[in-house]
Amino acid sequence: MNTTSQQSPSVVEVSVSGAPRRGPASRLVSRLGSGTLQTALTLVALFWMVPIIGLLLVSLRSEADNTNSGWWTVLLKPTEFTLDNYRTLVDNDVLVQSFLNTVYISVPSTLLVVGIGALAAYALVWMDFPGRDWIMVAVVGLLVLPIQAALIPISQLYGALGIFGSITGAILFHVAFGLPFAVFLLRNFFVNIPRDLLEAARMDGAGEWRIFRKVVLPVARPALASLAVFQFLWVWNDMLVALVFTSPDSAPLTVALRSQLRQFGTNIDVLASGAFLSMLVPLLVFFAFQRHFVQGVFAGSGK
Amino acid sequence: MTTTNDPKAADGATRGAGTPPGNPRSGPPDGSRPGWRRLFGPATLFLLPALLFLGVFLAYPAVYSVVRSFFDASGSQFVGLDNYARMFTDDRTLTAIRNTGIWVLVAPALVTGLGLVFAVLTERVRWATAFRVLLFMPMAISLFASGIIFRLVYDENPDRGVVNAAVVTVHDTFASPSEYPGARPRGEELAPDTTRGGFTTTRGYEPGETATLPLVGIRPTDVPEQAVQAADPEPVGDTIEGVVWLDVALGGEAGVIEDGENGMPRMTVDALQDGQTVASTTSGDDGRFTLTGLEPGEYEVHLAADNFTEPFRGLTWLGPTLITPVIISSWVWIMTGFAITFIAAGLAAIPRDALEAARVDGATEWQVFRKVTIPLLGPLLLVVFVTLMINVLKIFDLVFVIAPGSVQSEAGVIALQMWQVSFGAGGNQGLGSALVVLLLVLVLPIMYFNIRRFRRERS
Amino acid sequence: MSARTTLHHSRLLGGHRLLSGAAAALCLTLAATACGDGDSAASGADLDGQSLEIVGPWAGDEQKAFEEVLALFEEQTGATVSYSGAGDDLQTVLQTRIQGGDEPDVALIPQAGLIEHFADEGVLVPLSDEVVETLDQNMAGAWADIGSVDETPYGVYLKVANKSLVWYNDELFAETGAVPPETWEEFVELSENLADVGISPLSVAGADGWVLTDWFENVYLQTAGPEMYDQLAAHEIPWTDPSVEVALETLAEVWAEEQLMLGGGSGSLQTDFPTSVVNVYSDDPDAAMVVGADFIGGVVTASTNAAVGETARVFPFPSTGGEGDAVVVAGDAAVAMSDREATMELLRFLATDEAALEWAAIGGFVSPNKNLTADDYADPVLGQVAEQIVLAGDSVRFDLSDLQPAAFGATVGDGMWQTLQDFLSDPSDVEGTMERLEAEATRAYGN
Repeated sequence: MNTTSQQSPSVVEVSVSGAPRRGPASRLVSRLGSGTLQTALTLVALFWMVPIIGLLLVSLRSEADNTNSGWWTVLLKPTEFTLDNYRTLVDNDVLVQSFLNTVYISVPSTLLVVGIGALAAYALVWMDFPGRDWIMVAVVGLLVLPIQAALIPISQLYGALGIFGSITGAILFHVAFGLPFAVFLLRNFFVNIPRDLLEAARMDGAGEWRIFRKVVLPVARPALASLAVFQFLWVWNDMLVALVFTSPDSAPLTVALRSQLRQFGTNIDVLASGAFLSMLVPLLVFFAFQRHFVQGVFAGSGK
Repeated sequence: MTTTNDPKAADGATRGAGTPPGNPRSGPPDGSRPGWRRLFGPATLFLLPALLFLGVFLAYPAVYSVVRSFFDASGSQFVGLDNYARMFTDDRTLTAIRNTGIWVLVAPALVTGLGLVFAVLTERVRWATAFRVLLFMPMAISLFASGIIFRLVYDENPDRGVVNAAVVTVHDTFASPSEYPGARPRGEELAPDTTRGGFTTTRGYEPGETATLPLVGIRPTDVPEQAVQAADPEPVGDTIEGVVWLDVALGGEAGVIEDGENGMPRMTVDALQDGQTVASTTSGDDGRFTLTGLEPGEYEVHLAADNFTEPFRGLTWLGPTLITPVIISSWVWIMTGFAITFIAAGLAAIPRDALEAARVDGATEWQVFRKVTIPLLGPLLLVVFVTLMINVLKIFDLVFVIAPGSVQSEAGVIALQMWQVSFGAGGNQGLGSALVVLLLVLVLPIMYFNIRRFRRERS
Repeated sequence: MSARTTLHHSRLLGGHRLLSGAAAALCLTLAATACGDGDSAASGADLDGQSLEIVGPWAGDEQKAFEEVLALFEEQTGATVSYSGAGDDLQTVLQTRIQGGDEPDVALIPQAGLIEHFADEGVLVPLSDEVVETLDQNMAGAWADIGSVDETPYGVYLKVANKSLVWYNDELFAETGAVPPETWEEFVELSENLADVGISPLSVAGADGWVLTDWFENVYLQTAGPEMYDQLAAHEIPWTDPSVEVALETLAEVWAEEQLMLGGGSGSLQTDFPTSVVNVYSDDPDAAMVVGADFIGGVVTASTNAAVGETARVFPFPSTGGEGDAVVVAGDAAVAMSDREATMELLRFLATDEAALEWAAIGGFVSPNKNLTADDYADPVLGQVAEQIVLAGDSVRFDLSDLQPAAFGATVGDGMWQTLQDFLSDPSDVEGTMERLEAEATRAYGN
């Protein structure tokens, strides 16, 4: 790269000769580095985990124990551990249906957002037409629109269309509100793809659709994977849209869990175990897609 | 019910963001590549689905909000700018605007920075994936549950809140708690001492007199174990004899030592003359004390402040002063995983050769980072940063869940205000829409910035 | 992005929903209709194949219990009823569904003000004569006006709450020899005695504004009397009225004494409602009493090891000046959003003894139905509480803050809630508090 090449001679000289000017510090860092770095990162990770460990321990204690003492005390009193909170949740037969509903809502929403978003981003980067900057700017602006602002107008629309209370309604809403971010992210990612790649394909006589599928999508895999993970996550954890636009038959997990809440308790037992149960799937998805981030590396560096 | 939704609003929406570009037209920059000219057709096809969704679900509600903001709560009465006037004269909204400002300035930068640092650092450790999963986990929890976690984490009561539990543990290893926290005098003998803390007698005593000093406010079971039945002091020539005891026998008479009322041992007692401590002693197991070595004269008896110091209970994290930083910290905890994931994906896409080339050239890691990584990551960092910034503008449930009701007005942000105004008990969609418009206006600088960037990229 | 993840607004609608209670009283408004003793059992109307939808705030155990009540209706009529609980987002759900033209047949509304709001919007269908007749037979006269808007009956109050209670920890009382007080003076004295022996007398959930308004309402109802209460509720007298001053000063007898409240004023402002209950009933209790409604019993059962009726007991809110048996109530009302025979039949059913008996036997429920006796309740404490309401008859008063425009009476960080929270942190400022209440009330009514 241009920026570094200018300084390179002197630096090379330094490091080759071993004469300590700047080298030792950085070499020290890299040698000590991995040890210190590992420790530091471990500490950060542990620190980051405290609230989650807390939540886990809370979910494994009875409500009364939780209100009596801090969750960390359970480590000294392992007899308090109980799976009752989970048992109560799982015993609820509505939960299975709502789990399926969640899948029916999240999966199509995610696929549609990634697909439609990628198409639009491709057009915005690699095709030329008047006003494309303005479309981009509008997309960024619409990112800020709070979901609540759309509830009333979209309700009127759904009422007119008769899709109130259906899974379709929820999916469409999620797709729409996922798109601004998707387009924004992918557009900025696509911009970095070297033009030569596309030109080469075009020389070979590939059409736009083919270039999109065979060149752009594979290169963009890491970005697509991350986008998919987060889009999935947001839909998975959504409660507001589901509450408004689904009916009891089509309600997802969040809404079903919510119906377990008591009107006035702290409800921490239900919330904690519910949060852990509903966290499992997004984590699995994350693990599954993590591989694609890595593959993306090879795809990127291979070129 | 009434609806304000006039057809013009819908029209405007489609025009606003939805209209596909008119004529395929290629400007001078593209003239060199005539092939692009034909691309308008596919461009429409590629864009159409996205534009449909954006137009119907986002642009239309945005326009609807603008129109709605000129109508009153019922939606039937045009009120012009009244909602805006009300919005800007309301203290809560002003606080919300200020807080939103703090959020926008602090939170996105913090998260982007942390995400960048962690993403880069984890690139060199074997368990990078594990680390990233750990930091990603908060994202997998619903915001509501996260809010509940942080209410718990920051609970003021050190028996329940882990932060205060830690703070108190650290504090107590350096300062031991006092013996009688919360004890206070009964009757008129003692009064709070405003200059030196603790309690001082309301009258003077001369050597040879006795002082009986009743205290209350402590559970009898909380008195140190060695305490025994209190006893009346015997007057002795040149000393002040006295007793401090817990005057709380059931059905007992105030100010009189009765059976079952224990003395308060180990209490530090001073004799004061002209505001100076001239003698000091400690009470015995039956609460009696003797102040000796006194010249003739009048002395006040003082019970030192450190007998009564309330135990340190940590900080009021969820109080009016700390609430916004506390909520920001929870948001940072949640969103860092988001930043790391995208930045790591960006890093992964950086061609290894570029980095290696720089390293071979002898650039230090810092130089590689600053001169190669950052510029290549630039656009992505920007996406992350802008997304976070916009996300911050929309924050509301986290604030709602974490802030106790009594500090909600101090912690308020625009989006929360909007939610409460529109769907809270009042249900004023007109005023709520005005707040939506305010949010849309706040994003204008970000949009302007983006326009300039797009232009630059183009040239 | 994240804004669309979950939310739950326990404080948006305030805990207020529970409060709606004492309202119904439709019989009075339609006095013309014969209040004769018609059949009280379900008519057994044939609604085979019809389906009804109800949306309400209840979730968890309350939802289960209500569904059992509905099952009874289904059995009798052959209709199918589906209930969905929207919890604290009830208003959002109703508002959006109304906009979408997809109203449920019946909505359960926890706030009197909201009934008026929906009635004004023209979404509610007035109760039929049959429903009014059933209400007449089964509920005390004072359950009048609140379910009606401008003389038109809309609401059937089904589940109510008695808010004039003080819950105490019987073990702590026994340990210190304390006995439940009857008058306000005794109450303050008892509190001081408890503080002297090192026990915090009261846990006050100052973080939840509605808890503080309940305190105020009880004290005001006692010190000023039911007539003044009605006038203040309707804002016919200003908040700067001397009667308000008396009430605030009475409140300050407790609120200004740091040692009478666990954590003092500032600690109270950090305490939310469930925590205030836990403070009194945890294994190592920090306070002896908590002022609040009957539903505290539910929190005790769910969140602590204490047992209602044993460690957890109640006495009526202490009286001042002989206004003894006035009771502040609140409750959830069922309203019709569709004009169908089946809808009215369901509402009529909800007003019958049968429906009330079914739920009373399950527990966690207090009915305004005067035909039920304490023995009909599974839980003796609730039986006692329900009896107090029935006995109070015409002296029941609906939660005052629920009768206000929501901006004044039910908004987190605003109006009455915030003003009383500020008064709790500085109880010396009676004058300023009154002026602020008046200013905010005027503003809210002005809209």
